[in-house]
Amino acid sequence: MEEIAYIVHPAVVTLAGALLGALYFAFLRWQTQVGSQRVSLIVGAIAGAIGATMLTAPLGYCMFQGDQTSEDVMVGWIMVGLGLLLTLNIGSVVLWRYFRGQRLLPRGDTTPGAFRGRFGLVYALAVLSPTILVLVYFVYLPMFDTLRFSTFLARFGAPRTRFICVSNFSRMLGDLDYHSNLFLSFALSFGIIIIAMSLALLIASMLNQPIRGANVYRTLLIWPYAISPIVAGSIFGLLLGTESGIVNRVLDLTLGVKVPWLVTVPAAQISVVLASVWNVIGFNILFYTAGLQTIPKDLLESASIDGASAWQQFARITFPLLSPFTFFLIVTNTIYAFFDTFGLIFVLTRGGPTESTFTAMYRVYVTGILASDIGKSTAQSLILFLIVVGITIFQFRVGQRRVQYGNY
Amino acid sequence: MLRRLVLFLILMTLATGAFSTALAQDVIELEAWVAFSDHRYDWAVDTADRFNALHDDINVTMVSVVDYDTIVNNYTLGREDGTYPEIVQLFDAALQFAVDSDWFSYAETIIDGRDEVLGHPVNFDDIIPVISNYYTVDGIWASVAWNTSTPIMYYNVELLEQAGIMELPLTWADILDACVALQPLVDDGTISACATWPFSGWFIEQWLAQQNEYMVNNENGRAGRATEFNLDTDAYRAIAQFYRDLYSNGYFIFEGQDQWGPPTQTFISGKTAIMMSSSAAARAISEGAAATGFTLETTPMAYNQDAPSGWVGNILGGATMWISNGLDQAVEDAAMAFLLFFSNTENSASWHTASGYVPVRNSSIELLKNLEPGNEILWDIPSGGRVDIEAADWYAAFPNFLTASTQLGDSTVNNATRGSTYGTFQQSRPYYNGLVEEYMLNGGDLDAMIAETNAELTELLQEYNFLFADE
Repeated sequence: MEEIAYIVHPAVVTLAGALLGALYFAFLRWQTQVGSQRVSLIVGAIAGAIGATMLTAPLGYCMFQGDQTSEDVMVGWIMVGLGLLLTLNIGSVVLWRYFRGQRLLPRGDTTPGAFRGRFGLVYALAVLSPTILVLVYFVYLPMFDTLRFSTFLARFGAPRTRFICVSNFSRMLGDLDYHSNLFLSFALSFGIIIIAMSLALLIASMLNQPIRGANVYRTLLIWPYAISPIVAGSIFGLLLGTESGIVNRVLDLTLGVKVPWLVTVPAAQISVVLASVWNVIGFNILFYTAGLQTIPKDLLESASIDGASAWQQFARITFPLLSPFTFFLIVTNTIYAFFDTFGLIFVLTRGGPTESTFTAMYRVYVTGILASDIGKSTAQSLILFLIVVGITIFQFRVGQRRVQYGNY
Repeated sequence: MLRRLVLFLILMTLATGAFSTALAQDVIELEAWVAFSDHRYDWAVDTADRFNALHDDINVTMVSVVDYDTIVNNYTLGREDGTYPEIVQLFDAALQFAVDSDWFSYAETIIDGRDEVLGHPVNFDDIIPVISNYYTVDGIWASVAWNTSTPIMYYNVELLEQAGIMELPLTWADILDACVALQPLVDDGTISACATWPFSGWFIEQWLAQQNEYMVNNENGRAGRATEFNLDTDAYRAIAQFYRDLYSNGYFIFEGQDQWGPPTQTFISGKTAIMMSSSAAARAISEGAAATGFTLETTPMAYNQDAPSGWVGNILGGATMWISNGLDQAVEDAAMAFLLFFSNTENSASWHTASGYVPVRNSSIELLKNLEPGNEILWDIPSGGRVDIEAADWYAAFPNFLTASTQLGDSTVNNATRGSTYGTFQQSRPYYNGLVEEYMLNGGDLDAMIAETNAELTELLQEYNFLFADE
């Protein structure tokens, strides 16, 4: 058998993972002073070894082989890191629950016993099978395909594909255009989320006042959310064209100026943000309106009797009580801004001028659908997926400490 | 009693159901995807109806798909899950992919030497050579030409005269001169700028051909499979510089890459004097100009007067109709018969009046020059039907519609003007168009930009070849 030359040998990767896992678990043991020293070391080493190899071994450690570039090796180490993050976190939670004698899974509130008996499991599976089938066919299999294709050079309609290890990923490491696409995704998303949420809260607060015809306003304000991003893009295209746009027509007649909304920087970026805000704001208003109605009137009443100003009432009572809604909206708005705006961008600016509105998700669309280059585009979509998972975990960690789920 | 009645009704329903299914099986259903949604789609539907009226056993249904790019994408995805039409309209940029994918039966193979298919004459020699030449693959006539176009210039004559320009610009230098002369009209607010047109990669391809330059190696992929990009040329640099000169002096309104609607709107509302577009927009722009009330004149696409080769010729653009492979003989024949009807002498002439696409048959041009009362060829947009052309010579009455045919007729046919063919055409367009956009808007080191993009595009092309080319 031919000897494969490695830049980093798989054994080294495995040992490094095991060492790191053992060290981390030893640290946890020292910090918590719970459980057996020896067991935590052993379990830590196993979890570390699994973490280091779970993503690299299925690809045959190809990224560490002699003919790979230094970027490929770096991607390999990132995969080791991701695997370790996963196994060490899950491993430590499980092990310390065991050490503390807790149940491994928290018991749910549901009444037990519904599916007990001889054919309980069969019956449960039979009832669940339509959902499971749909999930497997439309979610899990495509996800598996995405994972697989990301390691290939592949195109729709091509008679063959070629395994290229992690080249699709390592290429992105050095691709400055892709970096700016990613940065742009963050910047535009940040703008969309901040404006869409604060404006929605303002409008929802105004709607919550006793005004005549509030229901009509509410319906009209929620309307834009029923419109797909593509259509929203078309509407704003008609509004914002330099020569033929309605906005510039009005500006020209009143102020004598024309703003090249869609073809200059940063006007194009602002246009994309505003169009997205308009598209998503109805959703936010809906939830904030619902949220405001859950806030007990007596609380605000007593505050105002005690002499709290309107601002104080908002800052100290209303806003904190809305925090579950705010938290939910931040998560959904992040997902919207990252994943759903590409249709709007496609219609409005095609990523231009000079790629100044070319977000990472738009790149996925252009590469995968317009150019049929599915290997690269699945790799790009996995990166986006990881980023959004990361952001969501971060939001949950930060958010849950500050969110107050009141029991009123 | 009631039970019997119900049973009887059920049996009756089943019987009629079976009967109608049996009838339906005798009708060949064909779906055709086209990239139009305006009056040009109405024309296609009307013409399909005319064909259906001739054949009781064939029913062609037209489906409107957003645009050329989307058709290719939808067809490609349709091939993955088995939901694709019998007939599909593919544009020039998809030519190599159509060949490589092995998804289509070639027209000449289907015809197999017959003079007619289901009563519709083949008459291949009647098709204008430059057109049949373009869609001939390895010596085989692959797809049926239907909508063939070429870029031409559109001018607002009154505005040019107001600026003292008495002769229509023909070259890039003429356009820049005209823009200088038109500047007073911009300054006093009569117009917004000298010129505008859709910022499309198609024009770059055309201008390269005009200067006798190749986009990719191996003579544009016509002498052998293209393996490298060829952007590092004076011809490409000249195009970027022309745009830069237009834009930096404020002569040109840029509305974003591949936006076709806004520039057209701007021109037909009289806000610019010069426009460039496909000849396929001739009908729409004529109607618009008439509605606004200015005189429209057209010339061939402006060319680089400094190119060493001079003006060589233009590539023909547009799209052709392809027939999916793997169909039954009867279905294949029905599809072929429809396409022969779709592009026959009368229909090709009518299609020309409906759009401005060049008639693909010599006999159509003859017909348009010698019209007789009762011809029913002119497409009437408001009523969505065909009416008589009252003039005896269409081109004498509407000279703007002749420009495109003249331009293609005058073109020297070589591998520059036959246009490039390579697998990553669609993917590459935004790159070489985007580079020119970047340089037009911001300037910069053109040589460095070209080197980078050229390398990138070559890599993509080689990846494509690796997956598709015969080993």
